[in-house]
Amino acid sequence: MAQNELLPRGATADQSDAFTGSVAAAGRKRTPRARRPALTIAAMIVLGIMLIAAAVGHWIAPYDPALQNVGLGPTGPSAAHWLGTDDLGRDVLSRLLEGAHTALIAPVLIAVGTTVLGTTLGLLAGYRQGWLDTMLMRLTDLMFALPGLLVLIVVVGVAGGGYAISVITLIILGAPSDIRMVRSVTMSQRELAYVDAARTLGIPARRIMFRHVLPNLAPTVVANLLLSFVFALVALAGLSFLGIGLPAGTPDWGLMIQENRGILDINPWAAIAPALLITITACAATLLGDSIYERLDAGKGFSE
Amino acid sequence: MVVVKLVARRLIAAVLLLLVLSLLTYALLALSPGGPERALLGDRPATPETIAAIRAQFLLDEPFPVRYWHWLSQALTGDFGTSITVRQPVISMLSERVNVTVTLALLAAVVTLAVGIPAGLAAGIRRGGRLDRSITLVSLVFLSFPPFAIALVLLYGFAIQLRWFPVYGTGDLSHYVLPAIALALGPAAVLTRHTRAAALQVGEQDYITFARARGLSRFGIWESYLLRNSALPVLTIAGLIIAGYLTGAVFVEQAFSLPGLGSLLVQSVTQKDIPVVQALVLLSGVVVIVANLLVDVAYVIVNPQIRQGRA
Amino acid sequence: MTDLLRVRGLSVSLEERRIVDDVDLDIDAGETVGLVGESGSGKSLLARAVAGLLPPSLTTTGSVTMSGTELVDASERLLRTVRGRRVGLLMQDPFTMLNPLKTVGAHITESLPRGLRRRRGEIEKRLAEVGISDPRVASRYPFQLSGGMRQRVAIAAVLAGDPELLIADEPTTALDATIQAEIMQLLRSVQKARGMAVLLITHDLRVAFAICDKVQVMYAGRVLETGLSEDVARNPRHPYTAGLIGALPVLERRISQLVAIPGSVPRAADVTHKCAFADRCPQRRPDCVETRPPLRIVADLHATACLYDVAPAETAPPGDAVEHAQETPALGKPLLTVAELRKDYGQVRALDAVTLTVQPGERVGLIGESGSGKTTLARCVLGLASPDGGRIMLDGLDITYPHRLSASGKRQMRSLVQCVFQDPSTSLNPSMTVGAALAEAAGRVQRAERRSVDELLDLVGLPKKYALLRPNRLSGGEKQRVAIARALAVNPALLICDEPTASLDVSVQAHILELLRTISANAGTALLFVTHDLAVVRQITDRVVVLLHGKVVETGATAAILDEPTHSYTRRLVASVPPAPVTFREERANA
Repeated sequence: MAQNELLPRGATADQSDAFTGSVAAAGRKRTPRARRPALTIAAMIVLGIMLIAAAVGHWIAPYDPALQNVGLGPTGPSAAHWLGTDDLGRDVLSRLLEGAHTALIAPVLIAVGTTVLGTTLGLLAGYRQGWLDTMLMRLTDLMFALPGLLVLIVVVGVAGGGYAISVITLIILGAPSDIRMVRSVTMSQRELAYVDAARTLGIPARRIMFRHVLPNLAPTVVANLLLSFVFALVALAGLSFLGIGLPAGTPDWGLMIQENRGILDINPWAAIAPALLITITACAATLLGDSIYERLDAGKGFSE
Repeated sequence: MVVVKLVARRLIAAVLLLLVLSLLTYALLALSPGGPERALLGDRPATPETIAAIRAQFLLDEPFPVRYWHWLSQALTGDFGTSITVRQPVISMLSERVNVTVTLALLAAVVTLAVGIPAGLAAGIRRGGRLDRSITLVSLVFLSFPPFAIALVLLYGFAIQLRWFPVYGTGDLSHYVLPAIALALGPAAVLTRHTRAAALQVGEQDYITFARARGLSRFGIWESYLLRNSALPVLTIAGLIIAGYLTGAVFVEQAFSLPGLGSLLVQSVTQKDIPVVQALVLLSGVVVIVANLLVDVAYVIVNPQIRQGRA
Repeated sequence: MTDLLRVRGLSVSLEERRIVDDVDLDIDAGETVGLVGESGSGKSLLARAVAGLLPPSLTTTGSVTMSGTELVDASERLLRTVRGRRVGLLMQDPFTMLNPLKTVGAHITESLPRGLRRRRGEIEKRLAEVGISDPRVASRYPFQLSGGMRQRVAIAAVLAGDPELLIADEPTTALDATIQAEIMQLLRSVQKARGMAVLLITHDLRVAFAICDKVQVMYAGRVLETGLSEDVARNPRHPYTAGLIGALPVLERRISQLVAIPGSVPRAADVTHKCAFADRCPQRRPDCVETRPPLRIVADLHATACLYDVAPAETAPPGDAVEHAQETPALGKPLLTVAELRKDYGQVRALDAVTLTVQPGERVGLIGESGSGKTTLARCVLGLASPDGGRIMLDGLDITYPHRLSASGKRQMRSLVQCVFQDPSTSLNPSMTVGAALAEAAGRVQRAERRSVDELLDLVGLPKKYALLRPNRLSGGEKQRVAIARALAVNPALLICDEPTASLDVSVQAHILELLRTISANAGTALLFVTHDLAVVRQITDRVVVLLHGKVVETGATAAILDEPTHSYTRRLVASVPPAPVTFREERANA
């Protein structure tokens, strides 16, 4: 009886499988899917605007972001300063626009780095199995035992800050979850007959991995990319909020929250605006990643 | 028996993990700029005498394994050395502040559970409905809302505008309300999504339909099917949520100027007070590893499939 | 009316799309009715509708009454009194139907009427009714039981509420053939003993004819034919029913040509105003697509939704084909030799000293149920699994451990053996077009022998334009044909077919079987046909090897073994196949 379970189950769950599938599909309400596009498009627009701001923010800023006006000091929003000024009389809007660059470019770099690293290793581990897989899994176990952000704070803090070390640490911290996810999807793909068919035809393993399996992982990979972006964005902003990593006075969203939280009662926008920008960007990316995941879940690529 | 064997195996894995973690923590010293002497000297003048004293005190002339073993055996007895900046035993610094963080985390846990599970179940059961869509969207927002940003918004809204709560510092429980909420919302969103997914997954199972087909009452299905069966997958993220509190506490304590372990970490990291940092890293590692161990054990006990010996 | 269940004009739609279209159904007390249909016929939804268990997103119109109680749009409170106590639903998959966290006893207790729950010995009694005499089973969890036992437990749980009508939705599809027969037997004896009505939902005509008093044939959401089992089996009055019967492979003899129904099942919503079967019908006339043919009564209790009488087949009914009766394979060098092959999965021995040979061009069936090791054997020959002992020789090449072969050895092996896998939905890469998949496979051979994508598609009877499609645009049968074309691209000497038709509907299965037969005959390709279906084996193989728990228990000429099995297991297997319907036409032809 245990044998029944352990061995690959034969051809017994046949014809009606297709049918139960369609009952389940019929039972699934369609409404969430209809809703998706509107929110997904909104998320794409938000991300687009943010990326444009990161690219041209420096040129369209109304003031020099570093220009101090100590005489003016902190003020609320006005016609001259749409989002008011900070403690040193610097224009908040200009600093936000200038900060978009640092706030977004590093997370993009990190997301790409994490995804490339995680996808490659996850694909190799999941397809090849064996010692590489065992080693990587022990390594990810270890990394999961540590709260990632704490490690980031300690490593970057003790090493004395620096752009490069933050980026590298975040790539290393983000990779394990990507590895796990890609590995498990790869393993389930590997069970499918199309991989067996390719192996039977004698197609080289590398080609099977990158030409056959990888395209079917696309939704996972894209979703991972966006999640890594969110993780990096929030982590970097958090780091500068704690005053770690960047010199004081840099027009950085996280640092602006930290520096301006004392003037919440005079010009709340100086701290809340960067906080909201971080949140909105993160939200948009999560939403987009989520909807890609959902589509993966609904479509699965196979059967209809 | 099977359970004992499984638990023993998990325990051994946890101990090994802790050893590796302690090794990494100890290696932190080497990472700091200027090498271990500089790090351990702090702001004392770097004369040959003081350096020699430091080297002798921390066995820096011994080979790495000896040094590590020395440090670890002391750490195991609770002796993490003295703080470089405050010249106070690290352990007493921790014990002064641990209350703040534990209070904060416990309150946050209450909020997380009280919000996350009902919201997740409500969304999962009414799949695709208006309530589900709202809950899913809100949880998505809080999933990407960094704790320091939540803290700021709460501070502005409830402490500065409405003046319902004190702005900064410690005192009675009212000082903890806003920080606990700020800390809880992220994990609550995670919990909501997992509970929803678990409820959805269980709800789609044939055995639920089969139970309904046998005329079982809605309450019966709820209580003995949905809740029990979705508890298992939800249990698995407890470790993740506890890790979330640990990191979240750093930001929230900083934002509300609460003197807990989180703000101690930021302070000691900025001042390169390595012994304190080591103690805190090791401590949080222990918390996460022990939490995961407990979750694993609970999972083994709850699940008859493992309990009855089919691992 | 003495009707227990009365369904009138029942339609089920998803949004505006019809899935079940204007169905009537009557069941008297104590009667067994079979609802027969291929996938997409709407039969399962109809069953759910009767049990009041349709997902809320589906809209239902029409009427379903249980002894006069209307169930359509009834309140949940009313439905709950009906479910379990008056209508019981037995579902398909015993592996998912029981709550993994509850014991067998708990499943039965919770479905018993309140008054009986505490009665001592009640659970034992209920288990005994379904043939479980060991009372300790009550404290077991589902995962500790085999599939057949689980289905027995599920039946006991359904019967705990003492329903007047039991709906059994494909109750044996997920089980092995011998177990299927046992469960069907059990359902029948329970039905008789209790005088309970049964609505059996099945895709298997043979099962329906063998067990049910009446059958109702469904297609694309509607009823095409209804009548007493005997009448429908002997004298089908709808071309679809006749086609289905014609496409059934039979155990008793080899049919010279299996007649498939061309095309595939349309969606109910696309054919609301015409005959649903018209597009595939051999005797379609213009008025078939003008209106929807109503059910007309052709004989007592026998009705068909066809405007015309079923035309006699243009040619004589297919006769029996000559079967090679050789006991031992022809002399000569075998193409494949498997000697003393052993393979272990952990504690379980999947293959235990298996020995078999396949001659060039020979068609050998490998028969076994789940856990018999048949798939493992196929995977070892394909080099997808690594044996723990023994030897596999293919055309003089030792392929026991393919990774030890030289590059040219590997290349040689790949052009010797290929495979058609079981599940067409996963055997093609969803992100690759049909053309790309075939071109890649064709590229594995020398340029001189390479076949073009068009040639390959032509070989399996698919139009050229399919090269541009992705697999998700193809039906199951079409996918399987592409998979066959891909395997043939390297012109292998041996083609392993691992249950290639197990996930296909009967009407499509015939097509694939016929295709494999033709290809093997024309190109001299040897077939190793892995299956659990004895009727299929009869149609396609010359010789069979019967596997049980990783051991060969019997081997010999197909006809000899199926007609006179000697091993007790083979006898049980043969006995578990329901008899093929003998149609009136065949009776006449044979007379």
